[in-house]
Amino acid sequence: MSFDPVVRLADVTRVHGDGPQAVPALRGVSLDVVAGELVAVMGPSGSGKSTLLNLAGGLDAPTSGEVTVEGAPLSGLSARELAALRRRHVGYVFQDLNLIPSLTAAENVMLPRELDGVRARQARSEAAEILAEIGITEPGRFPDELSGGQRQRVAIARALVGERRLILADEPTGALDTPTGDDVLRLLRTRCDAGAAVLLVTHEPRYAAWADRVVFLRDGEIADSTAAPLESAR
Amino acid sequence: MAIRQGLLALLSQGPRYGYQLRSEFEASTGAIWPLNIGQVYTTLSRLERDGLVAPGEQDAQGRVVYTITEAGRAEMERWLSTPVARSDRPRDELVVKLAMAVAAGADPRPVIRAQRTATMRALQELTRAMAGAEGPAQRLVLDSMIFQAEAEQRWLDHCEAVLAASPRTQETPEATRSPEPGSGPSPDEEF
Repeated sequence: MSFDPVVRLADVTRVHGDGPQAVPALRGVSLDVVAGELVAVMGPSGSGKSTLLNLAGGLDAPTSGEVTVEGAPLSGLSARELAALRRRHVGYVFQDLNLIPSLTAAENVMLPRELDGVRARQARSEAAEILAEIGITEPGRFPDELSGGQRQRVAIARALVGERRLILADEPTGALDTPTGDDVLRLLRTRCDAGAAVLLVTHEPRYAAWADRVVFLRDGEIADSTAAPLESAR
Repeated sequence: MAIRQGLLALLSQGPRYGYQLRSEFEASTGAIWPLNIGQVYTTLSRLERDGLVAPGEQDAQGRVVYTITEAGRAEMERWLSTPVARSDRPRDELVVKLAMAVAAGADPRPVIRAQRTATMRALQELTRAMAGAEGPAQRLVLDSMIFQAEAEQRWLDHCEAVLAASPRTQETPEATRSPEPGSGPSPDEEF
């Protein structure tokens, strides 16, 4: 199962600053997420959760170790190639949704595809398909005309559109109430069961429990995990 | 024990046989509280003694239908409208275990971590069970167990943070929290 991970972190360390001011955010973390797997990362503030997610998505580079996404080691990519890989293969869902308020739900979902060079017509039909699939019945509405739960659904649709198989979610249930938060996790779980790999950062045990595997970070290291370890702390 | 009142609640929906009460009780609570048929009949005979239910005639198979009385309805309503006192619940072994670990001078952190992983596994199982839950009564029961497991996780996180900040139980400084320079990475071993 770990043979073909969608994302692999191999002995990844990330140090912020240097010299005596150097602060290790992540220390020798190894973690694989395969297609169809939902992995939750938990840990106290400052344990390295968000750093791990940023490294997995190529938004940040490790000080040492290697991150591989869909078989491509990120250290070997030019900035341009990295940007293309992020756009095509990685979907991000954040707590503050980052939907563009002046675009409709459908246009928000179309945007990353249009940036990929896909024609507007195709992007529109892809957006309509995925929005219908996740239960957004009025794709012509603007973000502020949608409920918090619906906005998060749109953000997830945007993360999924195209051929993206890796979804990185940082506290995607943010300020949502419990039933709406459960809906978001149900949706991520469904996408996972359909073949996506999801890496979820959350401080809420309730949502982490939807994962196949829960990894506990502490002081930048994997302290424990709920599954037979595919990963090790060093 | 709430078996009495639970049976009264089911009987308030109409007369039932003992075996029906047992299967409906288990279906409603998601079988977290298995009843044996003996408990059901013992409880029914006490309810009958107290005038809260009335038995009907035995049928050909020797089965008796029970019907709730007016006094039974009043008892059920009294029960539903009375909050449950927290002190009625059994002591939590985990709380005692952690307190004793600290009191005995043992390192409570491995206890916390092992429990957190175990509770998370239980929470994962409950979340999976929720996907297959039948009916709102079962979902409410599972929800309650999920919220309790969640509360335990939060409490464990809190304990860990408090113990890390307390000099008595602190073995090594928390590298990420400590503002002083030179507090190196903690050498304590991970699992």
